[in-house]
Amino acid sequence: MGATEWIISLNSAVDCPPSVIGGKASNLSLLAGDGFRTAPGFCVAIGAYERFLEANGLTPVIQMELGRKPLDQMRWEEIWDAALRIRNRFLNSPLEKEFEREIFSSVAELGTDIPLAVRSSAPGEDSAERSFAGLHESYLNVVGPEAVCEAVRLVWASLWSDAALLYRKELDLDPLKSRMAVLVQVMQEEDCSGVAFGCDPRTGDGDRAIIEAVPGACADLVDGNTDPDRWVFAREARQLIESRLGERVDGDGNSELLGRGDLEAILEWLDRIEARMGWAPDMEWTGRRARLTLLQARPVTIAQANRENEEDERVWYLSLRPNPDQLRKLCDRVAGELIPELEQAGEELAAEDLDHLDDRELADCLETRRDLVARWKKIYWDEFIPMAHGVRYLGLYYNDVVRPDDPYEFVELLRGEDMLATRRNRMIREMARLVQERPQLRELLVRTVDSASKQSEMDPALDSALSAVEGGQTFLASLVELRSLYLDIAFDGVRLADRPNALLRTVLELSLSHETREDKGSRAEERSAEELEKRLLVRAGAEREEEVREVLRLGRLSWRLRDDDNLLVARLESQLLRALELASERLKGSGRLDMEAEVVPDFCGEICGGLRDSSGGTVTLPETGKKEGRAAPADSAETPRQLIGQPASAGIARGLVRVVRTASDLERFREGEVLVCDAIQPMMTHLVPLAKAVVERRGGMLIHGAIIARELGIPCVNGVSGLTDVLRDGQVVTVDGHLGIVTVGEAEFDMELRP
Amino acid sequence: MTDEPFLETQESRGPSEEAPSIEDRIGRLVREQPYAILCTQGEGQPYGSLVAIATTDDLASMVFATPRATRKYRLLMECDHVAVVIDSRSRKCHDMMEIEACTVTGRVTELVDADELSRFSELLLARHSQLKEFLASPSTALFRVDVVRYFHVSRFQEVRQWAPPSGSSR
Repeated sequence: MGATEWIISLNSAVDCPPSVIGGKASNLSLLAGDGFRTAPGFCVAIGAYERFLEANGLTPVIQMELGRKPLDQMRWEEIWDAALRIRNRFLNSPLEKEFEREIFSSVAELGTDIPLAVRSSAPGEDSAERSFAGLHESYLNVVGPEAVCEAVRLVWASLWSDAALLYRKELDLDPLKSRMAVLVQVMQEEDCSGVAFGCDPRTGDGDRAIIEAVPGACADLVDGNTDPDRWVFAREARQLIESRLGERVDGDGNSELLGRGDLEAILEWLDRIEARMGWAPDMEWTGRRARLTLLQARPVTIAQANRENEEDERVWYLSLRPNPDQLRKLCDRVAGELIPELEQAGEELAAEDLDHLDDRELADCLETRRDLVARWKKIYWDEFIPMAHGVRYLGLYYNDVVRPDDPYEFVELLRGEDMLATRRNRMIREMARLVQERPQLRELLVRTVDSASKQSEMDPALDSALSAVEGGQTFLASLVELRSLYLDIAFDGVRLADRPNALLRTVLELSLSHETREDKGSRAEERSAEELEKRLLVRAGAEREEEVREVLRLGRLSWRLRDDDNLLVARLESQLLRALELASERLKGSGRLDMEAEVVPDFCGEICGGLRDSSGGTVTLPETGKKEGRAAPADSAETPRQLIGQPASAGIARGLVRVVRTASDLERFREGEVLVCDAIQPMMTHLVPLAKAVVERRGGMLIHGAIIARELGIPCVNGVSGLTDVLRDGQVVTVDGHLGIVTVGEAEFDMELRP
Repeated sequence: MTDEPFLETQESRGPSEEAPSIEDRIGRLVREQPYAILCTQGEGQPYGSLVAIATTDDLASMVFATPRATRKYRLLMECDHVAVVIDSRSRKCHDMMEIEACTVTGRVTELVDADELSRFSELLLARHSQLKEFLASPSTALFRVDVVRYFHVSRFQEVRQWAPPSGSSR
């Protein structure tokens, strides 16, 4: 392919179809040819993108990333990971010299020191049925040919962003067939910019025109950072139906940005574009009257317009892209208000004396706790989960600046955050160390645990027995502190504080092996984190130091709080269970509730009704359908041999499977087993140091299991579909954390035997 | 699709909910692919040959034919343990992640019984009518592979084993 086909000037692109230069550039060049004022520029044709893929062998990389499992079985986090790896390959793949020369020459024609806009222009990107607006990247104020080359690569890579992939999945488009052209234009510096719709995008009413305007560039409006002035017209009659001034803090919100003549000029363009293109336009513009300039024009997306009562999924996908300002506000609100409030709520509930409450008061208390848990679960979804973007934003930022070979190098920067779970785990390790150093203490604990019934309370005699052995007093004090500070949490509907034997077993297991991985090399790793931070600061340059520190702050804060919030909400759940257990004991004690009845939080209503029923009637509860654990997978002629997932922590290890689903499974876990679970949760991270390897159903390089396994140097494979259904306790597995493969069974076996 | 909360256990989705069963996938592959690589061994030396195959409906047996005056025939006489590799490269070569393959292990038996010869010849000819004269030749031997298991490989590294039901069509 010749270089001339890679770069096409906008002036000569009038006849280029979207399959060559993408929809945005094609529409714009067509309208420029019709006399609409547009900014000068050029297109990087789709052929250049294809050549880039071919020259750098990127197609198989994309195929492998997206083919690891069916896209509809990939969770957002896994898609984000795949997108990050693809993006990193794009960033680290060189442009061909010939192509670079063409870009340099085309930029020189526009001006090497003037700001340019570098925008996506994918074929089929915008149509009446769908709009990728905002899902592919655009870069503004790009100065100089080198920066343009970088921006082109980033725009290409944005074809594979998590949001773009998810939206294609939603539309049932094959991502592997996607292609991308790029539009490079001179930035227009005007006093106002905006958007205009040739029909009402909310109702599809074709006789409505809507114009929005903000001061300066249009990006702030499109990104939602600036509240625009807004006008709604009856298009045919040119009659103003409503208008409103945007609420802006910059002091210029007192008078309308556009006069009648400015508005008329835009309305006329809407008419002309519709007449020329055959669709009601959604247009971005800048400048006024004679300087009115068309930035882009696409059809108003009808699918969006007709779905008045439905949430446009694209809006949700767009929300996946971290916006630093919004992220900062969210993190500050979560750290400054929500987490302290949540902590306080947990402490207050724990301090409440429930025993002295009469039945009615207990019913009130139960309802209050239930509502509180519901409220915080909602906050968890609405505010805590989006905060996870802080870590992802740090990752993208780090990769853009440092260009590491390993796209997850930035995870090192999160090491050593002081989280609730790490404090708890440290305490458990110290107890294990004490046990290891005191054989008498160890013998006592072994006897206690062995004689305890499965779920019993801690043996009341243990207190005095501990006092009698060396180190016992210290151990007891730690145990009491640990239970009250860190184990007042619910896991699988059980209060872990009620399972002291589970904790003692874990301590004993850790004491057997506790030349612990945590102690190993942690200082060296802290140094490595410092070095990475320094490298980031140096590469970014002194002028961006403040920005770098803020991105680091947000990333680390979001990482820490996203761990703590789980435990703090689980504490509220534990406190709900405390009240529920007391209520159920009372009802059972007075014969009003079947002694065998299983009481779960869903039955709060029935339990409260029973407590308030002065007639003393019996309480009947629905079936829970909940069983301890689940049935082992049925024997089948089909057996897995190799399961594939994501290589989440390097290393290879062989061991026996222990599937952890319930609180009882926590207790059963033994040193050297392979921890198999749906997801490592913050309430079970203390088990990870005992594990030979970790295998999770939930996928992602930034989820707890993956990060903890990497910190401890334990192989981890995650994102393995359906694994807790196919793996059984005691099976031999080999976990290859380099390749993301779990091999089931012995390496060698008799081929003549049926599996 | 969003981040999952740790607050509740969520049922994990197994591949069986959406994906066709392994038996169906193996069946589709072996019925679609007319040829396979037959792997034999002898004197410590592995050997591979391209053969035309057909498979019984229950996937318990395969059939292929070979001239007797071949190395392959001699090796089969020496050792009846074989592997057969079938793959979809011819259909999906542009994307490695979409290629499926099956490694079949089992034992071969040269068919001499007239009924069996007739039955398995028909099976093979139903797929490879061009082999009619080849099969009719007295120098051609017909072999049945009694399958012990299938190793089905998809997505480059996902491997599942499947054994056809015992009490087969053989």
